[in-house]
Amino acid sequence: MTDTRSQDIDLQEEAGAKFHRGSALSIFKSDRREDFMALMLALLIALGVYLFL
Amino acid sequence: MVYTHKHPALLIMGLVMLAIGASVSLGWQDGIVEYLGLKKVVWEMTSLTYVFGVIAVVVGLWHLFGKHEEGNLDYYLSTVAGVIFILLIAMLVRWYVAPFVAVLSKGLGPVMGAKYLHQVLGLNYVVLGIVAGILVVNVFKVPRWAENGVRLSRLGLKTGVILLGTLYSAAELRQLGALSVVMIGFFVLGSVGMVLWFGARRNIPNSMAGVLSAGMGVCGVSATVAAAPVVQAKSVEIAYTIGTILLWGVGCMFLFPVIGHLLDMGHVQFGAWAGTGILNSAQVAGAALAYQPDGIETLKVAEIFNITRVLVLPIIVVWLAVWFVKREEDAPGVNVGRVIFEKFPMFVIGFLLMFALSSTGIFAPAEHYKGKYFDNDIAAEKLLSEDQVASLQGEAGKVQRQDRQAALTRLIENRKVMSLEDDDVLRGLANAKVLSKDATGLLKKAHKAVRHTAKKVAAFRTWITWLFAFGLVGLGMQITLASIKQAGGQPLVIGGIVGTTKAVLSLIVVLLFVQETI
Repeated sequence: MTDTRSQDIDLQEEAGAKFHRGSALSIFKSDRREDFMALMLALLIALGVYLFL
Repeated sequence: MVYTHKHPALLIMGLVMLAIGASVSLGWQDGIVEYLGLKKVVWEMTSLTYVFGVIAVVVGLWHLFGKHEEGNLDYYLSTVAGVIFILLIAMLVRWYVAPFVAVLSKGLGPVMGAKYLHQVLGLNYVVLGIVAGILVVNVFKVPRWAENGVRLSRLGLKTGVILLGTLYSAAELRQLGALSVVMIGFFVLGSVGMVLWFGARRNIPNSMAGVLSAGMGVCGVSATVAAAPVVQAKSVEIAYTIGTILLWGVGCMFLFPVIGHLLDMGHVQFGAWAGTGILNSAQVAGAALAYQPDGIETLKVAEIFNITRVLVLPIIVVWLAVWFVKREEDAPGVNVGRVIFEKFPMFVIGFLLMFALSSTGIFAPAEHYKGKYFDNDIAAEKLLSEDQVASLQGEAGKVQRQDRQAALTRLIENRKVMSLEDDDVLRGLANAKVLSKDATGLLKKAHKAVRHTAKKVAAFRTWITWLFAFGLVGLGMQITLASIKQAGGQPLVIGGIVGTTKAVLSLIVVLLFVQETI
């Protein structure tokens, strides 16, 4: 049986609206910040690959 | 609020990873490796388990015994448990579950031409990983200690997309980019217009039509959330839209690869179709990797289409803002420049930056193709021997075409392939089987001597594969029944009509006009 509390993971509140987002959740405050962090992580991986291989 | 949970799960998962790595290193799993055909991934099974196992044990000890206070350290380190949870599931599925399903499927024999059941149904580690995620969240429950980590899966997908920039050649990007601009331009604008037109005919509120058109036209959930404030969508309208998109997107993610295999589509064709016809970015990646789990050529094509579509988002948001203001007298005005700046997806800049870096040749010679490049500055022992050259010379008379004769003459004179063009021509000669088996073997030997694999590009491929595997298992853990149950009413009907039209039309266009020549 589905645990009803398990369905809360994608609940999102944005501008007063509450809905199940269903995907694309993030720990960052904005998409812009997440994009920036992804860029930093990618550059870090690229640096590692460049230096160690 | 303190996010870190004093829980032994992370520590235990770290020890499990280390145990897997150690047992493979010590040969205790040799029988399993042989039975499941895992020799190619033994390196992954030891290196990844050791690296992430150590991280999990160290952070796990801190989770269990450390003193946690509210702040960034607590917030970000609390994600490690969820990340390791997803990675462990991805590892088990990729190394054990999917290969076992393949072994069972091969035991049944081919079911369609030379294809086995698991290939036709796309039952590979990508699909099984997403299914595992869906099962975890809907049948069991994502543990509280893992929730923050699950929210990092989109970061994994975005990082994977940015790193994909290292794998394209300029010619590839130019050709795919032109094709994607034409197809995405037509189908995105067409879908948005179609939803708005249907919305007016079926008398649904402008806010509902507006938010649904963004979701159906551009890139799913992100576009829905981005467009919602512009058309003043209510939460129930956002919920209807997301439900429709997810129901459609999840169905497509599993169905598209099966149709692709039935129609025997090429990688470029399938990538173009998935990138155009599937609504949500993550599900595009899921379908592309499900179609070609042992390589990323399809993913490369699909992501170019996806990126092109994401780039259209600011334009659509402006279009909807202007459209909404015209229909709703009390709607506030919109600062178009600000909307474009705020909604512009910055990770696309990262993708272009990686492509620019890669084009300078720092990871591999700029002319590399699929990680392979030409270099005939080779050691003396790799040159053809005098006997081998004499053997080729003896058969040179069999070659009729002038370009092949010239390339073969240069090979005989220099004992090695002299240019990329000669290499292509000689490969054509080898494939044509004009020469004897031995001589053809010598041509292949000469080819191998001058074609090199770029280790850095190979490493990027491995990173990208794992970032997407991580992101997609995490994506599965966010697909709740509650989110899909949000679908219903007129939005579901309109979404179904527009989504089906887009998928069928784009399939026809792809089959008619997209060739496997890129």
